[in-house]
Amino acid sequence: MSFIFLQQIINGLTIGMIYALIALGYTMVYGIAQLINFAHGEIFMVGAYLGLVGYSLLKLLFPAGGHGPLWVAGVFIFVMPCTAFLGVLIERFAYRPLRNAPRLAPLITAIGISFLLQNVVMLIFGPSDKSFPAILTVKNYPLGRAAVTNLQLFIACVSIALMFGLHFFVKKTRTGKAMRALADDREAASLVGINTDRVMSWAFLIGSALAGAGGVMFGMYYNTINFHDGYLAGLKAFTAAVLGGIGNIPGAMFGGLLIGILEGLGAGYISSSWKNVFAFHVLILILLLRPSGLLGARVVKKA
Amino acid sequence: MFKPLKCQTVLMILILMGGGCADRHKEPLIKIGCAAPLTGDQAQLGRDVCRGVRLAVEQANEKGIGVPGYRLEVTALDDQHNPAQAVNVAKKFVADRDVLAVMGHFNSSCTKPASAIYHEARMVQITASSTNPELSKQGFDTFFRVAATDDVQGPKGARYAAKQLDTKTVFVIDDKTTYGKGLADEFQKEAEALGLHVLGHEGITQGDKDFMPLLTRVKSLLPDMIYFGGIYPEGSLLVRQARALNIPAKFMGGDGLATPIFIQLSSPEIAEGTYATMVGGDMKKVPTAQEFIKAYEERYGEELGQWSAYGYDAANILITAIQKAGGKDRQAVLKAIRGIPSFQGVTGEVVFDAQGDNRNQFIGVFKVQNGLLAYVGPAQ
Repeated sequence: MSFIFLQQIINGLTIGMIYALIALGYTMVYGIAQLINFAHGEIFMVGAYLGLVGYSLLKLLFPAGGHGPLWVAGVFIFVMPCTAFLGVLIERFAYRPLRNAPRLAPLITAIGISFLLQNVVMLIFGPSDKSFPAILTVKNYPLGRAAVTNLQLFIACVSIALMFGLHFFVKKTRTGKAMRALADDREAASLVGINTDRVMSWAFLIGSALAGAGGVMFGMYYNTINFHDGYLAGLKAFTAAVLGGIGNIPGAMFGGLLIGILEGLGAGYISSSWKNVFAFHVLILILLLRPSGLLGARVVKKA
Repeated sequence: MFKPLKCQTVLMILILMGGGCADRHKEPLIKIGCAAPLTGDQAQLGRDVCRGVRLAVEQANEKGIGVPGYRLEVTALDDQHNPAQAVNVAKKFVADRDVLAVMGHFNSSCTKPASAIYHEARMVQITASSTNPELSKQGFDTFFRVAATDDVQGPKGARYAAKQLDTKTVFVIDDKTTYGKGLADEFQKEAEALGLHVLGHEGITQGDKDFMPLLTRVKSLLPDMIYFGGIYPEGSLLVRQARALNIPAKFMGGDGLATPIFIQLSSPEIAEGTYATMVGGDMKKVPTAQEFIKAYEERYGEELGQWSAYGYDAANILITAIQKAGGKDRQAVLKAIRGIPSFQGVTGEVVFDAQGDNRNQFIGVFKVQNGLLAYVGPAQ
């Protein structure tokens, strides 16, 4: 039954792409600020809800229509700057004041922000599941006996484009170079005149924009969104970032895809009751066997 | 700077005094607890029940039914369909001397641990919706329920699938909760007894969104039907993802899916043609329920919720018992409720057996037609 295997890989890759987008935010922030931004999953969830808001706003402006590529673009153009701004805001008010505090302090504010965002969304949108509008009409393309939907292709294309964009940004632009410098050594970077505050804002901005895009695609793919959704997706993306080597950008993409596929195969071939167990088993194993992750450099602990 | 502060203080004292005065003039209270998920993904179901309860209590207060000198009041607490939270809620109700009895909980997984606490406190508990058969077999004389049980609902669903829908092969999925697994197990037992081929039985996790891996496996087995023991958030995702994978199988579930939100979340086109059994029939066609439906819609300005009538009936039985008991006494309410031979409610006749189950175990079948939940007929 090779078509099942192919189908499981397609399913796994799709959700893996979304995990990878979220994981990029975790890994970038960790690489630059040595902070695990546990509110990142919530930014992803807010992105999904903002997608709903953006769609409703567009619907107000253009009561005709309602789906198609232009609408998708419209929603993304609305959501990504909004979540990017939210990320910068969180960095400015929850993390920057604690920059020189013990490392546990910003971790706790991160959890606080995460609760805050969940509850704000619950108060505004209500506790029930919201159905996400079908912006793209779903079409099935058969691949032998397996099938791929246009939505899955769309998620793959957008994710890959965003990842390439990020790669280019980090490797080729001035700000990207500054980011890498900061990741190498923050003090030395500030000594050569890099504005560390600004670069960190950039990291949050980009990471949050990617999470927002992930949130919209998550909503489009599953059609229902809930204020709890950021929690599990965030944890799995965090696992993906650790798996790939936290702080390592290609590692996060690779880790996300791997977690997605692993989950698909595990739930499909072993037992769907244990679906969430697979990802977290990987987390435990990787922490025990290779704490620096698959692609992470083995760093000698600095004295 | 000093002056406004003083004003504020004076104002606060006034407010506090005012509050105190109002309290002293209030009539003494008898409270009925309502325990259900009021936040979270199943909030709608909990709200349905508590609205029914509230309406019954308001009507009783208007008509002066109850214990003379006392005003009835509903206290609703949120158990978040979380068993641990349900225990906290039960303890809170038990500790409040004004609470005479509790309506709830909604989910079987919550009713189970909570029922032990109510039993210990000798406090009557009526659940409008927990359908797991084990609940009444714990030997708790304080436990009552209006809803039919899953050892009736599951088998009747299986018989309907086999006889009316001509199903030969079925894949069973449940959400691993007391309710979902119980219902799915009962369905499977009867399905096998009827000669249906059960291709597999798998669990999913509540709150998860991605069921594609499981459904991909289901697709390769080519079942005639997918049966789901669980509630609508996961049910709607399952049906959506099954259709996205081009699985043509019929989709059937229990009372957890028999609600309009299931259709809304899975979108009408996709939900079209799915079946759900329900522990009752079509309220809109019952002549004796018309007055209640009108009162409900006037009070809340919304269409009748799926569970509101059961909450309403259960609350009315409780109010009758409280009136019979004639005082603020939990033990007396328990004795009184045992003494009610039968109760004619809007959902039909309610007769409690020795275990606290309703002898009237009617199961109706609903089908999504033209985007609406349409009553198809009774399940035999």
